[in-house]
Amino acid sequence: MTWSKTVDEFLGEWQNGTGWYVYPTKRFKTVTIYAAWIRELEPSARARGALLPHVLRRGTRAWPTRVLMEQQLESLYGASFRADVGKLGDKQLLSFHITVVNGQFLPEHPDTVAAALDFLTEVLDHPQLVDGRFPDEVVDQEKELIKRQISALINDKGQYALSRLIELVADGQRFGLKKLGTPQEIDQVSGDLLVDFLNENRQESPFVFAVVGDVDPDRIQKHMAERWGRGDRRPLTTIQPYTGRHDRNTVVERQDVRQGKLNLAFRTNITAKDPQYPALVMYSGILGGFSHSKLFLNVREKASLAYYAYSRIDPAVALMIIGAGIEFDDYEAARRIIEEQVEAMRAGQFSPEEMAFTLKAYTNDVLSEEDNPGQLIGRQLEQLLIGGGLSGPQLIDALGRVTSAEIVEVAKQVELDTVYFLTSEGDERHGG
Amino acid sequence: MADKTLSWSKIGEEPVREKLDSGLEILVLPKPGLKKTYATYATHYGSIDSHFRRPGTSETIDVPDGIAHFLEHKMYEKPEGHDVFERFAELGAYTNAYTEYTSTTFLFSATSDIDACLDTLVRLVEEPHFTPENVEKEKGIIEQEIRMYLDMPGDRLHSNLLHALYQKNPVRLDIAGSVESIRTITPEDLYVCYETFYHPSNMLFFVAGDVDPEQIIHHIAQLEQGRRLKPSGPIERIFPTEPHGVSEKHVEQVMPVAAPLWMMGYKDQAGLSGRELLRRDVVMGLMWSLLLGPSSRLFNDLYQEGLINERFSAHYSSARSYAMSAIGGETPDPQRLESRLLERLPEEPLLEEHFDRIKRKEIGEFVALFENLEDLAFAFNAYHFRGIDLGWIPDVLEEVTLADVEAARRQHFQEDARAVSVILPHR
Repeated sequence: MTWSKTVDEFLGEWQNGTGWYVYPTKRFKTVTIYAAWIRELEPSARARGALLPHVLRRGTRAWPTRVLMEQQLESLYGASFRADVGKLGDKQLLSFHITVVNGQFLPEHPDTVAAALDFLTEVLDHPQLVDGRFPDEVVDQEKELIKRQISALINDKGQYALSRLIELVADGQRFGLKKLGTPQEIDQVSGDLLVDFLNENRQESPFVFAVVGDVDPDRIQKHMAERWGRGDRRPLTTIQPYTGRHDRNTVVERQDVRQGKLNLAFRTNITAKDPQYPALVMYSGILGGFSHSKLFLNVREKASLAYYAYSRIDPAVALMIIGAGIEFDDYEAARRIIEEQVEAMRAGQFSPEEMAFTLKAYTNDVLSEEDNPGQLIGRQLEQLLIGGGLSGPQLIDALGRVTSAEIVEVAKQVELDTVYFLTSEGDERHGG
Repeated sequence: MADKTLSWSKIGEEPVREKLDSGLEILVLPKPGLKKTYATYATHYGSIDSHFRRPGTSETIDVPDGIAHFLEHKMYEKPEGHDVFERFAELGAYTNAYTEYTSTTFLFSATSDIDACLDTLVRLVEEPHFTPENVEKEKGIIEQEIRMYLDMPGDRLHSNLLHALYQKNPVRLDIAGSVESIRTITPEDLYVCYETFYHPSNMLFFVAGDVDPEQIIHHIAQLEQGRRLKPSGPIERIFPTEPHGVSEKHVEQVMPVAAPLWMMGYKDQAGLSGRELLRRDVVMGLMWSLLLGPSSRLFNDLYQEGLINERFSAHYSSARSYAMSAIGGETPDPQRLESRLLERLPEEPLLEEHFDRIKRKEIGEFVALFENLEDLAFAFNAYHFRGIDLGWIPDVLEEVTLADVEAARRQHFQEDARAVSVILPHR
């Protein structure tokens, strides 16, 4: 049976700590189902939050081992399932995603959506427990793997430099916390603690459920109401933006690397729900969002200092980040050129053409998101956790109405907060 | 213009294909309802094609390593000083390009002005403009790109493995070349490679989106008519004979990583193309899913022993001139992981029931491929340049038996064709 109404937008609502959102569409061959418990990111519980999805991935009542779960997913024509921890601002998301091919495109037209909903429900509601607790060996194995994942954060130098910068900026504010916790915090988690933690989430944590694909919204709402509609859940709070202030604090660190990573954080004081947000988006796009932008043209194309140079905004915590991968010796030159571009924006030195290119590029980006189920769900989550903001065609309209004066006004508000430079051990020029 | 609809209709896809007088092949896949149109213009020319004879000549040509990738960068520069990035920006389109061992691909992704984007993509690929100054300037940018890869442990792990597996085939060298090799590249080198490999009869145009295939084909055909090109003769790509054995059995590199990264490869005999090559690909893919996929006994034993994490993977990759398996991931104990695998890979039972399930998974993944235009274009182009039609996959999957997989295993695990690459943390 195929649902005939395809509205191509999210239906659903947030009520009593739970939200269900369905995007019925015929654009996709797959159906993507997402569920998450939303928690405050905090040192006391983040390690349990990081572990729980992985432990739930190890077995359910119907499929008690990892092998049996994998076999079930294979039988569902290679359904993909992920259980992991995510982070958005100061929130920790205990996330579960399952994607199945819609049965109408498969031999004998199986109801893969029903099977996927069953699978997800098993994972959330019927974990494999032995004497009321998660088996020690499972918990110990997953603890070890998470600890290794925490140490492995240094492997990706670009990501590492970025996360060091955010840590320095946040300076104690919760959005700077790592979603996985520390190895010491992980060590303290036991199988008993995790069962209590699971029950607490099932009863009290705000819960979001979202589906994208050719599905019947009534069926999804019904599943939600029957399975997860009960309980007295905490109300959802929105993400707290950055409120601190550093005076161009510069930190240099050294590792055995071949390329320096220069990252700058700016305070914007604007989140996605603010009226100035569309002007901020245009500002960052002209400065460094695209290959026609000032940073790419001046740092890469004119000075040949970098392969990449970009700016992007964090719509939740009110920060703008600029990043470039450079030669160690080019630190001063690259920083000077970057700061000159920021200054040029303040002085209103951008043309109608730069504005027009930027608007078109965002139009392309925003519309293209709608071809990707994961991005559609991400956008919905962001709006929920920021507490508003425009998306899709409405965002495009708002960007089109932004004036150059409004961009200059934003430019004057954006202030350099913290600079982080990851350089080589042999680079003696930069004192730490 | 006789068009031909491929037999992909079982899964609701109706691509239209055309071959122009110049030899250029075009495939257009209508995707009603999608907002985005994605187009690639690709040449069957990658980093390993550095030694060749041009059609109709007897002279062999050698060019510096990394030149295919350098050429990809330089195609964006045009005589009037504005580069193609700017033209795409005017149209609000995203553009990019990537170079691999055997192909180079230019692309755009756009939600409006598709005809103008097609014009720009054609111009991007068909109008070279190399000067001593603009070639010199690019060296700094590409050097930074190479240095970025040198800091990526996963990239080094894989590159080092290829270097160890192959004694002669240029697949042992990095796609971007080295900081030293790219310094020697001249405009003349670039023109020679361009004229040899960017000929329409060595290229493929792919477009997918909410478009009218006839109109797209007509549009491209008109642009091509102006060039009055005829199909060129075959390009002779000269590859050294690759000995059976590996170059080095074990290579290690120390990098600032948290735990060791380990990868093991088996060199396979190359030389297949077309349906035979696809069959080999499918058999080997099924073999690795059975032996080491996430539902396998071996994967789960290693996982529970703490030797691997969920990202550990095994896959087979092949081209006309090389083929190999690569198995690896992060591990706390490379020696123990290696000995477990060597002991169990030849012995693990392969079960019929497991085999049927894996085939089902493959069918589902084939259907899902049509949802992601980037992945689809990538797969379509890669198969095409190996003489394979993507649409053959379901039939070949159907044909392959468990006995084929067992036979492939018996033949694949040869000790002298095996090498290991390890990235170790600092002490």
